[in-house]
Amino acid sequence: MEEVNVTLTVNGKEHDLNVAADERLLDTLRDRLHLTGVKEGCSIGECGACTVILDGKAVNSCMVYTFQIDGSEVLTVEGLETNGKLDPLQEAFIDHQAVQCGFCTPGMLMSAKALLKENPDPDREEIKTAIEGNLCRCTGYQQIVDAIESVVKKDGSE
Amino acid sequence: MIEFEALKANSLEEALDILAEKKKEVRMVAGGTDMLVQIHHESDDLKGMEYLLDISSIPGLDLIEDNNEYLKIGALCTHSEIMDSVLVNEKFPILKKAAEVIGSTQIRNRGTVGGNINNASPAADLVTALIALDASVVLHSKHGKRELSLSEFITGPYMTDRYEDEILTEVKVPYIQGEYFDCYQKVKRRQAVAIARINLAVITKLKDNKFDDIRIAFGSATPTAMRFREIEAELEGSDLNKIDYDKLADETGQAMVNITGERWSTPYKRPVVGNLLKRALQSIVKEVQ
Repeated sequence: MEEVNVTLTVNGKEHDLNVAADERLLDTLRDRLHLTGVKEGCSIGECGACTVILDGKAVNSCMVYTFQIDGSEVLTVEGLETNGKLDPLQEAFIDHQAVQCGFCTPGMLMSAKALLKENPDPDREEIKTAIEGNLCRCTGYQQIVDAIESVVKKDGSE
Repeated sequence: MIEFEALKANSLEEALDILAEKKKEVRMVAGGTDMLVQIHHESDDLKGMEYLLDISSIPGLDLIEDNNEYLKIGALCTHSEIMDSVLVNEKFPILKKAAEVIGSTQIRNRGTVGGNINNASPAADLVTALIALDASVVLHSKHGKRELSLSEFITGPYMTDRYEDEILTEVKVPYIQGEYFDCYQKVKRRQAVAIARINLAVITKLKDNKFDDIRIAFGSATPTAMRFREIEAELEGSDLNKIDYDKLADETGQAMVNITGERWSTPYKRPVVGNLLKRALQSIVKEVQ
């Protein structure tokens, strides 16, 4: 199989890669760049565990071939912390016990991050819509929505 | 495992050349929200596929434009772009309503109008609204372009009239004059990432409380999304306060069965299509009053 050359900026770092036609963004991130925070769940866009931010938008990385996105920017959960400090969303997930088994957490965080980038002041319904493509089988979602909402409120009072 | 070679087109011309040359062996991908699932499941529909042609970077096909007589929606527009478009909201708010119940945020960010149409699922949410709006599609090939109505283009479940060397480039939604009310309904097994069991798009004007130019399109009720013209004819000119909505619901269910025949899903779908229309019309009535 012929490989395709692509350049991707992942978490601020540029990568020049030769990828196979059927290599999904999920595979590139996990297997090549060892960003294993990106999880593979259903592989068909139903669970959201593989959610990353591609050019500013939350997407399922299991449904994108890497060869399609030459020149793009990708943000994964590993790119959320800055200077060793967790993102406020990550802190909030810890504070609200919004994590149990943890498998959905990176995807949830990226959906939440994409939402806040686009809309810094979402209401509870908008938060629920933003994470509607992310399944969590542990928490029942309440704590997750609470956690995201707390970051919004914090921002509003600053 | 399906093995294929990747091709990428940076212009429409380039894509059309590739299609003209390789035809049968090429499949196209843009947002990938259907195609990658099909590849993952090694769908029989992909037999003979040797190349996957990425058309997502073709410039100019992702625009939504006001063209005097119609709204032009580029095939590469994502569902999110439709939801966020000021033009769509102003001209055809029902398209926004249909787009926002598709899949999930992640899927809406990638999935495209062209993909939704070409996949030709009977349950495609946008298609039902576009059928109600009498939309047409434009197809390009190396030999020129042609235009046909969306209802002619989708010929059956997961089947279209697209020739192998053609690309669907745009959707045209003819403008409608006057004040229209609309309602979009979707019955699904869960709130999100759900395929429609039935969807319904209704648009109508009201003249002295009478339905005027009412259009009713159901998806997932019949093999392809379609207008229920008998029911439209019955409602056209009727006073919205004098309609026997229960009788109308029964007739709507029967209209579906007249097309599909009795199927395993009929005991469920017959009452549901009727009640869904009743609910949609009553929500419009409520909005008016």
